[in-house]
Amino acid sequence: MKESQQKIRLYFPIYIVVIIIYVIAGIIEPRFFTWNNNVNLFTRITPLILAGMAQTFVILTGGIDLSIGSIIGLTNVIAASLPYINTPLNIILWFLIPPIVGFGVGVINGYFISKKELPPLIVTLATSAIWLGVTLYIMPIPGGTVSLSVALTITGRLFNVIPVPLLIIISSVLIGHSVLGKTEFGRSLYAIGGNELIAYESGIPCEKYKILVYGVSGLLGSFAGMFLSGWMFSADPIIGEPYVLNSIAVAVIAGTALSGGKGGVVGIIGGAYIFYLLNNILNLLGITAFYQYIAKGLVLIIALVISSPDASKILQNFKNKVLYSKNKELGEIGRD
Amino acid sequence: MNKNGKSINQIKLSDMASQNKLIFLLFFLILILFIIGETLSKGFLARDHIYAILRTASFLGIVSIGQTIVILTGGIDLSVGPLITMGNVFSCMLINGLDSNTAWAVLAVILLGMIFGSFSGLFVSYLGISPLVITLVTGSLVTGVTLIFSHGAPKGLASPLLRFIGVGRLFNIFPVIIIIWIILSFLTILFLNFSVLGRKIYYIGANEKAAFMSGVKTKFIKTFVYAISGGAAALTGTLMAGYTQTAFLGIGNEYIMWSIATVVIGGTSITGGKGGYIGTIAGAILFILLESILTIVNIPEAGRQIANGAIILILINIYYKQ
Repeated sequence: MKESQQKIRLYFPIYIVVIIIYVIAGIIEPRFFTWNNNVNLFTRITPLILAGMAQTFVILTGGIDLSIGSIIGLTNVIAASLPYINTPLNIILWFLIPPIVGFGVGVINGYFISKKELPPLIVTLATSAIWLGVTLYIMPIPGGTVSLSVALTITGRLFNVIPVPLLIIISSVLIGHSVLGKTEFGRSLYAIGGNELIAYESGIPCEKYKILVYGVSGLLGSFAGMFLSGWMFSADPIIGEPYVLNSIAVAVIAGTALSGGKGGVVGIIGGAYIFYLLNNILNLLGITAFYQYIAKGLVLIIALVISSPDASKILQNFKNKVLYSKNKELGEIGRD
Repeated sequence: MNKNGKSINQIKLSDMASQNKLIFLLFFLILILFIIGETLSKGFLARDHIYAILRTASFLGIVSIGQTIVILTGGIDLSVGPLITMGNVFSCMLINGLDSNTAWAVLAVILLGMIFGSFSGLFVSYLGISPLVITLVTGSLVTGVTLIFSHGAPKGLASPLLRFIGVGRLFNIFPVIIIIWIILSFLTILFLNFSVLGRKIYYIGANEKAAFMSGVKTKFIKTFVYAISGGAAALTGTLMAGYTQTAFLGIGNEYIMWSIATVVIGGTSITGGKGGYIGTIAGAILFILLESILTIVNIPEAGRQIANGAIILILINIYYKQ
C-alpha cells in the first residue's frame, strides 16, 4: 500500500506536467489534437523511449551508459546495410543481427565495468568513441536502405487503425515495468543500486547482473537504432548522438535517481513526451528553433525541480511558513 | 558510486606516491609519442611543430581547468561546449575588430560564462539536482542564447590584439597563448594545492558530508567551482576567436567529451577528491599529440575515434588496477 502510494507520488508530477502542456497546446492550436499529429508524436518519441528505458535500467544499478548513442548509430547502420530484398531469410536476419550486435557491444561495456571495476562513465565514454569509429568504417556518410515492407510495418498502423509505434511504446514499457518489478534480475538491479555490498552479501550475483544490465541497455539501444532505420528507410552514422544526453534527461525526469536504486520505467513516456511536445507546439506556433533550446531548457528545469527530493523538502518548508504566516494573519484578524 | 561499498576499494590512486608515478608515466608516454612522431615523419620535433601542438593543447588545457576543479568536487560539467561557442561568438560580436573593445568584451564574456556556470552550480548545491543533467540543461539554454543573439549567423571579427594573443609570438619567439596557458596552469596548481579554498575542494570531493560537518561551506564552494568552469570555458572560446579570427557556431561541440577525457587521462578520479591539474596538463598534451600523429599517418576520422577510445580504456585500466 505504502509502496504504491510512493510510486504514485513519484510518477504523478510528470504526467500532470504533460497533461498541462498538452491542454495548453490544444487551446493555442486546435490542430494539435488531430489524430495525425498524435501518431506523428508517437513515432517521434519511440526511439527516445527505448533509449530512455535502456538508460533507466543502467542508472538503477548506479551506473550510466554514455555509449547508447554509438550503439544506436552502429545498429542503425548495420540494419540499413543488411540485404533488403524481401525474402524470409533476409527479414529474419534483419530482426536478428542488430539486436545481437547491440547486446554483444553492451556486454563488452559490462565486462569492463563489472569484472575490471572501472567507472561506468569513463568506460562507456571510451567505448562510445570506439563504436562510433566502427560505425564510420561501415558507413562514413548517410546511406543504405531498408526493406520497404519491414519499414512500413514498423512505422505503419495495425489493421489500418492502431499505430505500430504506440504498440511498441506500450508493450516495451509494460515489459520493462514487469521485468523490474517481477523478475529476480529486475529486483536485483534496485538492490545493487541501493548498496552493492549488501546486495553481494545477500547472495545476489552482482557481477553477472551488472554485465547483463549493460547487455540489456545495448539491446534496447539496438531496437531504437532499428526503429530509426525503418523510419527513415536509410541510416546515418551519427544519428545516435543526441540520444546520449536526452536519454539520461528523460530517465531523470521520469523519476529515476542518478545515484541508483530508485526509479522505474513508468514515467518514461511522460518524460519523452515533455521533450517532444514542446518542440511540436513551438513548431506549430511557428517559433524559430533558436527559442526552442531555451524553452526546452526551462521546461526541463521545471520538471527536474519538481522531481528533485530536495525541492519537495524546500517546498514543504515554504508551505509551512506560508501557512504559519496566514494563520498568524487570521489570528490577528480574529483579534480585531 | 559513493554509496557503493566496492567502489571505495576500487580507487587505487589514494596516496601521493602513486599519483606522482602516474604523472611520471604520462610524461613518459608523451616523450614516446614525440619519438614515434619523429620516426614517422621528419620534422615532428621541429620547434614550430611543437609550438603548434602546444597551442592546440592550450585551448583544451584551459577549458579543462574548470573541468578538473568540478570533477575534483565529484561533479561534472557538460555545459563547457556550448559555453565555448558562446564565448567565441559573443567576443567576436562585442569586439567587432576593434582593439579598444577587447578588454571589456573579454571581461564581459568571462563574467557571462561565470553567471551561467553559477546558475548550474546553484541547482547542484541548493536543490541537489544531479550535475550531469543540470549542466546539460544549462548547455541547452546557453545554445539558445547564443543562437538568438547571433541570429544563427555569427558576425564580427577578432581585434588585432586578440589575434596577437591567439596566434602571435612574444618578441617573435614564444607563442603568447602558451604563455597564457602556463600562467593559468601555475595559478590553478597554486590554488588547488596551497589555498584553503583549494584544499576544501578536495575535501568535498573525498567526503562531502564530513566536509559539511566540519564547517566547510560546501554549498557555496560547489557553486563557485561551476562558476570557475563557466568562466574558463568562455575564456577558451574567446581565445579561440583570436586563433580563428571569426566566430563559428559549432566550435565547442567536441570539447564536452574531450575535456572530460583529458581530465580522466590526467588521472583525476571521476568520483572526486583525487588528482590535480598537473595530470590534466599532461592529458591535454597527450590527447593533441595523438591526434597529430594520427593525422600524419593519414588515419580517417573512424580510426581516430577508435584510437581515442582505446587509449582512454587502456589508461584507466592501468590507473584503476588492483
